[in-house]
Amino acid sequence: MPLDAPVLFKRVPTAPWGSANERIYVDYDDYVAQDGYAALDKAIGMSPEDIVAEVKAAELRGRGGAGFPAGMKWSFLPPPDGGQRFLAINADESEPATFKDQILIQYDPHSVIEGIAMCMLACQLDTAYFYIRGEYHHQREAFERAIAEAYDKGVFGENSRMGKVNDRAPNLYLHRGAGAYICGEETALIESLEGKRGWPRIKPPFPAVAGAFARPTIINNVETLANVPHVILHGADAWKGRGKGRPEGAPPQVPASFGTKLMGISGPVKRPGVYEEELGVKLTDVIERLGGGPLPGENIKAYFHGGISMGVISQEEAEQGVELDFDIGKKWNNLGLGTACITVIPERTSMVSMARNCARFYSHESCGQCTHCREGSNWIYKMLTRIEAGDGATKDLDMLLELATSMGSMPGHNICGLSDGTNWAIRTIVNKFFGEFEAAVSSKRTVSLV
Amino acid sequence: MAWITKNSGSTQIERRDTPYLSDEVKEAFNKRYAHRYPTRAALALPILHEIQHHHGWLPFQAIEEAAAFIEVEPSVLMDTATFYEEFFLEPRGKHTVWVCQSVSCEIMNEAKITEAVREKLGIEPGETTDDGLVTFMKVECIGACGGAPCALINETLHENLNAADVGKALDALD
Ligand SMILES: Cc1cc2nc3c(=O)[nH]c(=O)nc-3n(C[C@H](O)[C@H](O)[C@H](O)COP(=O)(O)O)c2cc1C
Repeated sequence: MPLDAPVLFKRVPTAPWGSANERIYVDYDDYVAQDGYAALDKAIGMSPEDIVAEVKAAELRGRGGAGFPAGMKWSFLPPPDGGQRFLAINADESEPATFKDQILIQYDPHSVIEGIAMCMLACQLDTAYFYIRGEYHHQREAFERAIAEAYDKGVFGENSRMGKVNDRAPNLYLHRGAGAYICGEETALIESLEGKRGWPRIKPPFPAVAGAFARPTIINNVETLANVPHVILHGADAWKGRGKGRPEGAPPQVPASFGTKLMGISGPVKRPGVYEEELGVKLTDVIERLGGGPLPGENIKAYFHGGISMGVISQEEAEQGVELDFDIGKKWNNLGLGTACITVIPERTSMVSMARNCARFYSHESCGQCTHCREGSNWIYKMLTRIEAGDGATKDLDMLLELATSMGSMPGHNICGLSDGTNWAIRTIVNKFFGEFEAAVSSKRTVSLV
Repeated sequence: MAWITKNSGSTQIERRDTPYLSDEVKEAFNKRYAHRYPTRAALALPILHEIQHHHGWLPFQAIEEAAAFIEVEPSVLMDTATFYEEFFLEPRGKHTVWVCQSVSCEIMNEAKITEAVREKLGIEPGETTDDGLVTFMKVECIGACGGAPCALINETLHENLNAADVGKALDALD
């Protein structure tokens, strides 16, 4: 059933409730006129523990890719010890094909800021850094404007309506990244915040214990935090009325997918863009109903369903009923829901070139700390370039798969999840479209490589 | 490629007498940023951005001065500056064109956009036109996939591009 009313996009015109052309920046006053900051006022009257408990009860999962339950993350923090405690908001959004957070940042920044303030209250964090990717120029301007408004209206600063948080005046600062995908990884983000190169840290210690400036730090995605006001204002039960619960009788380890999610659609469809839908919606439904279906003359072959790192889903699988929820990885052999931003791959596009594009990305963005990620991704890129040029051999395909598989899994092999992304992107493309790779090596091969 | 180190043994450092970071500039930086972070070292990114915004790139002497200002060794700040794609350690053109090359854009015909830029400017990605007007860069996803193919020209996003649009946008640069 289609979503009856938007939650996150309440103030951002989007089909079917409005048109993207009507989008305007929602300033502080407009935001307040539409229910804005009511949830913060409610939270100010609650104890921090109660806010965390409500978010936990709502089973709100992280929207940044890993789907970790936000309430649980928040409860990992040690009790305040008198020192500073930080919030880092992940607005790095560099996963290829992902472009959902930028809409909130640019048009409805106060919904994010309200969530930030509530997280600071709940977790007793005095300082928040909004880590935004360097290339988001329009978004950065809008967000800086919103921060200034929030200070002006007593959300942050010496005169904050929250009073003292962790015995200090609460502050929110924007911190601009400088073009590195890896800085979206939470510990790389922290390093970058501290003024260093974005090299992910070995965990433990986890950021909740020793994060930014070696102090307790919470890191959440923009969209995750933007959901918090709704959860607190209307309660966990109302939140759980949307989306998809776990199947009857399933153990609690099976992830539930409550709430709505921003979903991007890009590629050759009639209405590309960012939409909001309930989790559990069918992939084909999103493409047909929201995206308007493929452009005339295009046939869909496959999808990157959550950024490239999650791997691909074939049209065949989609037609068997792929649903966008947190269980998608186990069910359909990919890494997970990721960012739920979908790229439509048409018949005319070669999967070899898609794999090559992904491999170039990973080899370019690898931070270089782990050998197999640094060398493996580059090796895979070179092999795929060769295969695409018609110089591949059949044995290359085995090697490709072996290499991708041995890129390792976190934790244990890698410091961070980047090479898992390489592994799943390449492996699912090659496995699910093996025929195209075979054809590329057998029909076009012109040079002996032995 | 953040992890590739360049041979810098023979680097010639150009110096000038007037400092890049005058007392006034330092005071402005302190006022704007120092209270935000618990350490001086964390001023690295904001200050590198400011310097690059003003000069177009990061001259080595400016990095040295910035390092002294935030109380780290020059090599430490250099380490940071070399990691990030957006920081230019060599002069670049007055304008920079960033053409996105990630999956959605490739599917939506980024190749035509790249070709159009190449033809118009007569340079390859990574190069600057002889008159110093435009630098041409290819980038990974810039987060505007709904408008693929897309490009940034300086700080302005251009979406749903075709070869003719790009030509026009480049003509408008002066
Ligand atoms: C290589 C890599 C890149 C990542 N990039 C992003 C990103 O751009 N934005 C984001 O929100 N999370 C990103 N993540 C996930 C973060 O590490 C982290 O899980 C997330 O920000 C936590 O927020 P959430 O629990 O609210 O989702 C990335 C992870 C990895 C391994």
